[in-house]
Amino acid sequence: MTITEKIMAFNSGRSSVVPGQLVWANVHTVMTMDYLGKQCFSAFESLSPEKKLFDKDRVICVSDHLIPPPSEQFATMLNEWRETVRKYDIPYFYDLGRQGIAHQLMVEQGHVLPGKVSIGTDSHANTYGAVGAIGNAIGVTDAAIAMATGKCWFRVPESVKFIVTGEWQPWVMAKDLSLHIMGMMHWNGHLIYKALEFAGPAIESLGIAGRMTLCNMTVDLGAKNGIIAPDDTTIEFLRPVQKGEWAMLKSDADANYDAIYEVDVTNLGPTISLPDKLDDVVPVEKVIGTKFNKAFVGTCTNGRTEDFAIMASILRDKQIHRNVNMVCIPASQSVYLECIQKGYFEILIKAGAAIETPSCGPCAGIHTGVAGDGDIILSAGNRNMKGRMGSKNAKIYLTSPAVVAASAIRGEITDPRFEN
Amino acid sequence: MAIIKGKAWVAKNYVMSFDMVLQKYWTSPINPAENAKWVMAGVSEEFNSENAFVRAAFTFIVAGHNFAGGGKSIEHCVTGLVGAGIQAVFATSFARLQFRNAINYGLPFITSKDINLSCETGDILEYDSDNGFIKNLTNGKVFSSVPVAPFVAEVAASGGLMNFVRQKMADGTIHELH
Repeated sequence: MTITEKIMAFNSGRSSVVPGQLVWANVHTVMTMDYLGKQCFSAFESLSPEKKLFDKDRVICVSDHLIPPPSEQFATMLNEWRETVRKYDIPYFYDLGRQGIAHQLMVEQGHVLPGKVSIGTDSHANTYGAVGAIGNAIGVTDAAIAMATGKCWFRVPESVKFIVTGEWQPWVMAKDLSLHIMGMMHWNGHLIYKALEFAGPAIESLGIAGRMTLCNMTVDLGAKNGIIAPDDTTIEFLRPVQKGEWAMLKSDADANYDAIYEVDVTNLGPTISLPDKLDDVVPVEKVIGTKFNKAFVGTCTNGRTEDFAIMASILRDKQIHRNVNMVCIPASQSVYLECIQKGYFEILIKAGAAIETPSCGPCAGIHTGVAGDGDIILSAGNRNMKGRMGSKNAKIYLTSPAVVAASAIRGEITDPRFEN
Repeated sequence: MAIIKGKAWVAKNYVMSFDMVLQKYWTSPINPAENAKWVMAGVSEEFNSENAFVRAAFTFIVAGHNFAGGGKSIEHCVTGLVGAGIQAVFATSFARLQFRNAINYGLPFITSKDINLSCETGDILEYDSDNGFIKNLTNGKVFSSVPVAPFVAEVAASGGLMNFVRQKMADGTIHELH
C-alpha cells in the first residue's frame, strides 16, 4: 500500500484498502475559520442539539481571513464568530493577537500528525501532508459531521508518485518545483482526485517549510492530497509541539501507483506562472525585464520564516525600486516574532517593504493590499486567476519569494541568480 | 427516481466555483432558494441579474473538464444549483471539492465522456438514473456514464448526508461507520 492508503486503512479500522473504496475515517482534527466557522457550528448544532463536540481539543478554530476586520461587515461577522467559539470554550482558538493562517497553525502548533487524517474548511488543507498526514479540504457539511462524530467519509484515491532527485541550485526553492510540476501536469488537469506523493533525496533535503509549500499547492493540481513520508526532519519539527500520538507510516516498496514521474532539480531554475492561468509556467529567464508595480509575499504557501530569510539575504543593504510597493505578511505570530528576532524584518523594512500583521491578506482579495485596475503584481501566493486578489483588470505573476525580492530591487522581473 | 427529463444548459470547460458564486455571497447562509438567486452570475453575463439562472429553468447542466473547480470549499455552488431546479450535472470531469459537496447534498454529479461535444443549450435530455444512460432527445444521441457508488445513492435517498448521519445518530449505528 501507499502511505495514503495506509493512513486511510489505519484510521478506518482496516488492515488494507484499495483505491476507489469508500471508507469512514476517524479524523484527528477538524479545522474551521472565521469565514465559514459559524456555518459549521450551526450545521453541527442541527445534528447535535445537546451541542456535544466529539472532542473539543481537536476542533481547531482560527481567525485568519477577516482579521483585523477591514470593514464593519467583517467586524460584525468576526464578533459573531467569536461569540460562537466562546460558547463552546474551545481551547485552541487562534484569534487576533495569537493569530496565523489556519494551515500554518495546524502544522506549526502540532495539530496535524504523521499517519493521521485532518480536515479543514479551506482548500489549502492539503498543506498538512508536509508532516506525513492526510490533509483534506471539506465543506461545511463534512466539518459539522466530523465535529459531532469524529468521522469523515473518503473515497480512497489512486496515488501518483513524484521522485525528486538532484541538487537544489542556489536561490531555487520548493515553490519553483511546485510551479514546475503545475506546468508539467496542468492546473486541475491529469491529477484530479489523485493522492500525490513526493519522495526522493531532493525532498528529504527540504525542511518542513518547503514541504508545506509543495503539499499546499497540490490542491491547485486538482489533487485530493499531497504527502511526504515522515522522517527525522518531521520528528525534530514536531517533538516540541505535538498534540497526541502519531504513526510513522510510509509507502511499501511494492506499492501501486497510477503513475510515477521523475524530476531532477539540478536543472530547475527560478520559475514563474504567467497571469490568469496557473499552469502557464515558464522559467523566469523568459520574462526578465517585465515591469510590475506591486510585490507580495505571504500566504499559507510562502509566508514562513525560511521565505523571509531568503528575501532578507537578497535585500540586505539594498533598496526596493521606487515604483514598487511591497507587502510582506508572515503566516503566523510565531513566524512574525522569529523574523523580528532574526533581523529579517529589519532588513526588509530598511529596504522599503511594508510588513502586515498575520492573515490571509490580499491573497483572496479581501484586504491589506488588494489589487486595483491596472496593477501588475509579482506574488509568492498560490493563485493568479483573474480577480483573485481584487480587480479583474489586474495581472498576477506567481513565483518564489527569492524572485520577488530580487525583482523588487529593479522594479522588473529578475533572476535572483544574477542579482546576487 | 428512474427517469428525469428536461432542458440542458451547456457550459464550457473550467466553470469555476468562484464564478458560480461571487465572493460577496460566500458567507451567505445555506438556503437553496436564496443561493440560487445569483448562482452562475460570474460564469456568463446572461446570468448576471437576480434569479436569471432560475428563470432560465434548466433541469440539467452539461459541462466539460473540471466543473466547479478553483478550490473553493463553499457549498453555495451546489445549493444554488439545487435551488435553481437543476436535477443533475453531466460533465467529463468534476473538481473534487464540489463533487463531494454535491454527493453530500444528493445532487447527482455524473461523469460522462465527451457528452459536452454532442449537446447544445436548449436540447432536451432524458436521464435514466437507474441505468446511467443520458439520451439527448433533440439529436437522438445516447451517452453512458460512470456508475454512481452505492454510498452516493444511499446518501441521496436519505435526502443528503446530514439526514443520513442524523438517522445513524438516532438509531445508534453511527459508531459502526468505518
